[in-house]
Parts: sequence; structure tokens; C-alpha cells
Amino acid sequence: MRLIDSREVRAPAQRRGTSRGRGTPLGRFVERHFLGAISLPSLVVMLAVTAVPFVVTIGLAFTNYDLVQSAWKFTGLANFDRMLHDPQIPTILFNTIYLVIGTTVLDTVFGMVLALLLDTRVRGAGVIRSLFMLPIMTAPIVVALTWRAMFNNESGWINYFLSLVHLPQPIWLGNPSLAMPAVLISDMWTGIPFQAILLLAGLLGVSKDLKEAAASDGANRLQVFWHITLPSMRPVLFIAVLLRFIESFRKFEGIQILTTGGPGISSTPLNLQIYNTGLFYDQVGYAAAMGVLLVVMIAVSVGLLYLVLGRRR
Amino acid sequence: MKRSRGLEVLRYALLSIGLVLVAVPFVWILLTAFKRQVDAAAVPPKFFSPVTLANFTTLQGDGFFKSLINSAIITVLTTVFTLGLGVPAGYAFARGRFAGRRFLAAFLLFSRMIPPVIYIIPLFLYYYKLHLVGSFSGMTLAYLTGLLPFTVWMSAAYFRDVPTELEEAARVDGAGRAKAFWRIALPLAAPGVTTVGLLVAIAAWSEYFIPLILASPTTAPATVGIVDLIGVDTINWGAMAAGAITLIIPVFVATLAAQRGLVRGLTAGAIKG
Repeated sequence: MRLIDSREVRAPAQRRGTSRGRGTPLGRFVERHFLGAISLPSLVVMLAVTAVPFVVTIGLAFTNYDLVQSAWKFTGLANFDRMLHDPQIPTILFNTIYLVIGTTVLDTVFGMVLALLLDTRVRGAGVIRSLFMLPIMTAPIVVALTWRAMFNNESGWINYFLSLVHLPQPIWLGNPSLAMPAVLISDMWTGIPFQAILLLAGLLGVSKDLKEAAASDGANRLQVFWHITLPSMRPVLFIAVLLRFIESFRKFEGIQILTTGGPGISSTPLNLQIYNTGLFYDQVGYAAAMGVLLVVMIAVSVGLLYLVLGRRR
Repeated sequence: MKRSRGLEVLRYALLSIGLVLVAVPFVWILLTAFKRQVDAAAVPPKFFSPVTLANFTTLQGDGFFKSLINSAIITVLTTVFTLGLGVPAGYAFARGRFAGRRFLAAFLLFSRMIPPVIYIIPLFLYYYKLHLVGSFSGMTLAYLTGLLPFTVWMSAAYFRDVPTELEEAARVDGAGRAKAFWRIALPLAAPGVTTVGLLVAIAAWSEYFIPLILASPTTAPATVGIVDLIGVDTINWGAMAAGAITLIIPVFVATLAAQRGLVRGLTAGAIKG
């Protein structure tokens, strides 16, 4: 009995020993550094396609690189100086802030309402949730083209419905003050369900005991939501707002296709302006400088967001 | 908390309104795709029209179906490369400490925050020099910018659900680390990895910005091809809606499949069973 016991204990250890010592030097190296080795290809590719281009973009910001002319030279801060005097930049920055704050606030507030509505355990709730996910899965280009048709001032459905209830039927995409609202409305179609699905996951994690304890102490539904549900959802809320923020800074199809950034530049945010400047008007150096500005804006706003929402109490 | 009947009625009323709002654009696509061209642009809008397949014939004449094939090629290439590179890295990320782990973590966050427009300008310049503009390989590489970090992140989450005890047992029995990954961890994480693969495929299929810049007319995917239906002064709404249907259907099928994959029951029974 003792003999069997000791063999059982020793045998695995011996076998593990042989597996370590076995094989070529390369095999042994891979065995020892297995985790590093299998993550290396990913790391190399990510460096090549994101880190290196990122550094190159920063470098290009200090040149007068142009796709048409082959000669280029370092021009120091000339691009940034030009940005300071560019009459379009104030509008572009205003549009960017309008877009990012507008989409984030609208999507998150209505997304929270939708999440609360979806937080029910009756039959069919799963199907209803799946139906609300369909806009999220639809290609952004299809969303943008479809909303362009909906907003069309002649054959579009939106103005037709407005005419049925005798409301004014504005020329949405041709009016500088309505182009951005049109962008926000079309964004809400995917953004609200997106936020709702994320926030619902957080809602399901809120302690039921805590809510019931508060209710039995006489708190009404609104008080329970404000003092129990919302504070316990803070981490999820932070992630949801952060993702929407980042998404809004890079929103492209929903603007380039829906309004083409117009009329004029009245709905062009920085992201689209960089594309237009660099790849449409070939001024790569200036576009790269605006790219640096965009990265700084994202870094600063994510930092502010972290201070406001992300801090642990 | 006690349920109030009035509030439940209000809940369903509001959810119904929400579902109608979600449905309206889909209904527009569905109705418009099968309308005659005159009815698709009618003022005021004409909701019903004789059903016709003319819009799909127009798409065929415009070479739109070729661009759908391009979409399929790019989607398959991107999914294969993203999973091949990203899933092992996700496993490494989930399993512990190694040189470069912190760097990888910081990098995943970084690449999530930076918009693609920042990477795409230098990539375009390289590709231009290397004559890679318009090539499928070049586009696939560019698609990895966003999708590879996503894959590493997501598959790491699934690998964390696979109990390490099983791998440790296999290694005690003499299996190398590679074998423990390939034979134990990967099969157990397979449903999760499948879900990641479907999400990557959906994202690649729907991508517009990268091919807008890096594709050539012969390699452009359907997301770019559909925009060509916007003419100088008129838009062929019917053909556009028909194209939208061909872009939507594969994604909805993949979504249904991904939902099944999301049902994770495998790891729950793995340790006890």
C-alpha cells in the first residue's frame, strides 16, 4: 500500500521533469517562455499597424508633406500656427464637441431608460432584447444611407409623418442648424440600444436585497433608483460613457454619408476634416497636425471623464 | 418591491413605441428594395408599389455582386488572421505574467482610444510606396488595427473562464504548455472563441472607412460599392435598398449564430463532470 502511494506521488513529478528537459534548445526556450512567445506575433503586428503609423503621423505633423508634390521638408510648428489662424477650425472644434457630448448624453440617458424598461423577467423579454440589438448589428454605412433617405425633404418618411400631424417640415440636411441634430437623431437609433444593452448588464448586477431593504424603509421607486441603483452601477456607467465617447470622436459614415459634413462645414467634426484635408485635398502634413489635436482632445476628455465618473469614492 | 399594474402597462407601451422606432428604417429598406424606381422616389412617399426584382437586376448590371464577393474575401481573410494571431495572445494575456504583458495591456487601451484616421494616413503612404493599395493583403493588415486588440481582449475574457486546474493536471501528466493550450484550453474556450470570430467577421463585413481609402475599384467591398449608387444629382434609392438587404442578411444570420455561442455552459460542468 505504501509502495503504490509513493509511486503515485513521484511519477508525475518525474514526467514533468522529462518534459522540461526534452527537445531542441529552441523547443526548450519556447516551453519556458510560452506565453511571451505566443503573444509575440500579435504584438509585432500591432506595433507595425498602429504604433509605427501613430509615431509617423506625429512626425508628419511637423512637415509640409503633400500627396501631389514629392518634395517635402520639416517646417517646425508651421502647421500648428496655420491651425491657429484657420477660420474653419473654431467651427470644426465646436462641431466635434457638439457631436461627442450630444451623442453621449442622448444615447446614455435614453439608453438608461431603455435598460430600465428591458429589466423585466416576463416571457418574451429575451426576444424583445434581441430585436433592440438589430440596429447595433447593422452596418453603419447602411444606417447612414437609410437615414439619408428618411431625412430626404421630398420623398423622406420623416417629413411625411410630420406633415400628417401638421408639424413644420424642415429641410433637415440643407439647413446648417439642423444638419447636426439630424446626425444626432440617426446616431440615437444605434446608440440608445447599444448603451441599453451595456447598462442592462450592470442593472442585473445591482443587489436585489439592497433595493428591497431601501423600499421597505419607505423609499419610493425614484429614491431607490437614485440612491441605490445608480451608485452601484457607477463602474458600468463609466465604461458605457467612455465607449460612447471614443466612438463619437471617430464617427464617420453617419456624417460623411448623411450630411457630407455640410451644408458648408456646419456638421463637419475634426475626424472628417482630417480625412478631407489629408486624403481629399492631399495636405498630409496639415491633416497630421489636426490628427495630433484630435488625439490630445481625446486624451484630455477621457482624463476628465475618469476624474468625474471613474473615481472610486 | 410590489409590482404596480399601471407601471407594467406603461413599460410595455414604451417598449412597443421603441420597437416601432427600431423597425421603421428596416421597413423602409424592405419596402423600397422591391419598389419600381418611380415609386421609390415618389413625392409624397408611396408606401406600397407593385413588387419587382428590377432593383436587384440593376445591382447586377452595376457589378455590385462582384463587390459582395470582395466583401466575403476580405471578411474571411481578416477573421482567419485575427483569430490566428489574437487568440493565442488572448490566452497568454489571461494566463499570467510574461515579458511584455503590461505593454500589451497598455497597448490594447491605447489602440481602442485612437481613431483609425490617425493610422490610416501613414498606412496609405506606405501602401502607395509598396504598391499595396487595392490589394486584399494590404486591406486585411489594415483591418487588424482595430480588430486584433479587440480579439486579444475578448478571447482573454473567455480563457479566464477556463479553469486552470485542467491544464495543470495535463501538465503534471507530461503535456507541454503548447499541448495544454491546444488540447485543453482552446477546446474549452471554443464557444467563446467562435463568438469572437463571428463578431470580428461582422465588423470586417461592415467596415467602410478602411476600404474607402485602401481599396481599388476592382477590390472594393460592398460597403464602398453601395455608395457608388449615389449619383451626381439623383440617388437610385431602390437599388440602394436592395444592396442594403444583401449587406444586412448575412449579419443577422451571424448574429443568431453568435447568440447560441454566447450560451456558455461548457466550463460550468468541466470541473465537476
